[in-house]
Amino acid sequence: MRGPTPEQPAAPWVLALSGLAGMGPKRLGALLGRWSPAEAWNRVVDGRAGEDPQVRADAGPVREETWGRWAHAARSVDVDASWEAHRRAGVHVLVPGDAHFPDRLADDPEPPAILFVQGDLAVLTDRPSPAVAVVGTRHCSHVGRLVARQLGYDLARAGVRTVSGLALGIDGAAHDGVVTAVGERPDRGRPVGVVGSGLDQVYPRGNARLWADVASAGVLVSEYPLGTPPDRWRFPARNRLVAALADLLVVVESPRTGGSIHTVEAAIARGRTVLAVPGSVRNPAAAGTNDLLAAGCPMVRDVDDVLMVLGLEGKAPTASAEPAPTAGPAPAAAPTAADEVMVALAAEGATLEQVVVRTGLALASVARRLAELERAGAVTRVGGWYLPGR
Amino acid sequence: MIASVSSATLLGVDGQRVAVEVHVSSGLPGFTVVGLPDTACREARDRVRAALLSSELGWPLRRVTVNLAPSGVRKQGAGLDLAIAVGLLMADGQLPPGATDGLALLGELGLDGTVRPVPGMVPLVDALPNGGVVVPWSCVAEAELVGRHQVWGVHRLVEVFDALRGRAAWPEAPSPVAVVEPAERQPDLAEIRGQAVGRLAVEVAAAGGHHLLMVGPPGSGKTMLARRLPGLLPDLGTDEALAVTRVHSAAGLALPPGGLVRRPPLRAPHHGASAVSLLGGGTSLMRPGEISAAHNGVLFLDELGEFAPSVLDALRQPLEEGVIRVSRARASVTFPARFQLVAAMNPCPCGIGGPPGSCRCTESARARYGRRLSGPLLDRFDLRIEITRADPTELLGLDQGEPSATVLERVLVARARAMARGTATNSAVPAHRLDEVAALTPSASALLRDSLRAGVLSARGLHRVRRVARTIADLGDRAGPLTDDDVSLALQLRSEPDRLGVAA
Repeated sequence: MRGPTPEQPAAPWVLALSGLAGMGPKRLGALLGRWSPAEAWNRVVDGRAGEDPQVRADAGPVREETWGRWAHAARSVDVDASWEAHRRAGVHVLVPGDAHFPDRLADDPEPPAILFVQGDLAVLTDRPSPAVAVVGTRHCSHVGRLVARQLGYDLARAGVRTVSGLALGIDGAAHDGVVTAVGERPDRGRPVGVVGSGLDQVYPRGNARLWADVASAGVLVSEYPLGTPPDRWRFPARNRLVAALADLLVVVESPRTGGSIHTVEAAIARGRTVLAVPGSVRNPAAAGTNDLLAAGCPMVRDVDDVLMVLGLEGKAPTASAEPAPTAGPAPAAAPTAADEVMVALAAEGATLEQVVVRTGLALASVARRLAELERAGAVTRVGGWYLPGR
Repeated sequence: MIASVSSATLLGVDGQRVAVEVHVSSGLPGFTVVGLPDTACREARDRVRAALLSSELGWPLRRVTVNLAPSGVRKQGAGLDLAIAVGLLMADGQLPPGATDGLALLGELGLDGTVRPVPGMVPLVDALPNGGVVVPWSCVAEAELVGRHQVWGVHRLVEVFDALRGRAAWPEAPSPVAVVEPAERQPDLAEIRGQAVGRLAVEVAAAGGHHLLMVGPPGSGKTMLARRLPGLLPDLGTDEALAVTRVHSAAGLALPPGGLVRRPPLRAPHHGASAVSLLGGGTSLMRPGEISAAHNGVLFLDELGEFAPSVLDALRQPLEEGVIRVSRARASVTFPARFQLVAAMNPCPCGIGGPPGSCRCTESARARYGRRLSGPLLDRFDLRIEITRADPTELLGLDQGEPSATVLERVLVARARAMARGTATNSAVPAHRLDEVAALTPSASALLRDSLRAGVLSARGLHRVRRVARTIADLGDRAGPLTDDDVSLALQLRSEPDRLGVAA
């Protein structure tokens, strides 16, 4: 074998197997549960792997032609070269048994057969520091985004690692807060980003910068080798890793169906506590989280609620009193509490029409007041809606 | 024998005078039409023959040649039938020579000898020299709009024959239809509850002639608002009315009783419309399109995002110049197209609306939807507003809105102010006159500067916001520099595209 020898001599074969098109964690687990990695690889190359009744039972439904396609594709794979390519790209490849392979994933009911990690490996295995998963919908409300960002910032300040999926919306906002906090002082709780594609396939594109920031401030984790596209079916598997890596799960905003609810189910299956942030009953993006609260999940109003469940009560250095710094300039003329327009906006925001109806003021003066508040940074305008906060 | 009769044919929205020359000579019986007739025109032979025989007039068993001069211009439609028939009767000696001096004839013939109406009566008559003109009975009102001719209406070919032979008088002209106000009820603004911003935008659009874009979920009232805009516009002036009538007449659209289109038209083509149907054209028959039918009125494009992007971009030139030049291999015409554009679209494909967070579209689907509108087209809209679905519980407590009549009074005041400054509407104020027409108070000026700095206003939007603010001040019947309130409202009514729900 050329190049540096892996910690586990079998790792290159696991890597090669995981790179086959359509090879998910379940199928990979079925092959490796039956044979050693090298033998499993040889059987796939021969096209004999699918003949084994135990593998067929464990792998779930696999189409007959898939075995043939794998055999065909595997014959042109250079096992050593692809190992070497990951080494050169600075990607750590971990298989169960490696020193840095996280214990809680090794003990998982659906353990990953291989992990690809970019960044500081210590963050992944930093056992004494608790880890909290913060997840939510991609289609979040403005308030949800603010809450997620603040929560990520405060958790990092409290020294808690934040696990999330680097999706648009809540996931990205939470890690944005974490990255900001770590940027201020590097000894804070660091981000763990779990993604559903190869580490060189940035998805969604809009989060490219955050993706790089998380890799430098903490770690990026994937089950898939470099070059794997972000197929839809890979995300439920990604969600189980988010749940498995964390001590508890906080859902900031989620409708009744969607990826966040999958993560909740995975967390419950693993005995992790699920917490939820309450939302307005008029906000469809918070219907799922409100259901969770109704079902008895603990409520998260700020970071203290999370720290209490973790048993870290009081450890947060007055975190929630201090808002996460925002990118824009400092508010020039902060609104007074008695400002009628701000009151009319309520917590959820409102349209210009609604403010006019609620305050009874003239359209022109409401328009002028809102424009002033917007320039002062007290409200944000999103497609006809005015939302309090930046 | 040879005879010549005056008539006219339609080219685009303009009439073209045609001299119908008929030559009857010995030779094999036959009938030839020369001078670039189209199919309908060539078929005149069969209609004329049947009409003559049905009217108990003679059909010459000789060689007949009809020339339509000038022979280089294409003639279209059946409007020359009557002139050909009368020319033939003269050339055959059944009518005395010179019977049609100072007289032109327009009309299609039926096989039974009836004279049928033809589209484009206004431009056709307008192309004829002063004198008499014989038209189908139902077209008399339309033909009289031009006002320079003695118009006679006829039902049948035989009436023309008798009058020209001097055996009978021309039929009595139909008594002029009293111009009645349109009987159908115009939609009224009073029917809309809430929608303070939308109502204001429509009012400002009516007063200042500004193009309006409304973005909002289905059922939020965009279409209701747009349909009420024509009701807020003043009646058309005589020249404007005649220009609109010419187009509608040429396009074969139904004209109101009395013939003259006095109210600004509203045209709302479906989003499946092709470029030709919207802009005008065709192969040889150059028909005006929807944008010309909306001349001096409102063109309403509902579901703007569903129109083909190429069709929308073709609107840019007419929006700028007020005319559309359509060029084809056989002809090139200019149609009037000075319309006010009102457009409505959903913020995204799902159209759920509601506060941020309710939309279920993927980011890429939203981006794709926004990209359907080009920046230059979006830039043409002085007014760009978001319409949100009203909250029913808040709607219940509201009074009925102002009726259109009250709003129209303010619009008339604002328009009179603009007219006094020498511009038809504020949307047409040239940039170099803005400092004089739309001066700013110091605080309003500071407001605009802050907005530019904060990125909520672009440099190119600055002029447009000032024009809109001028209209708002005019609606309040206020002279002098623009105040904070005027400018704040104008900024509200013109969101930058990235702040609208679309193109985010």
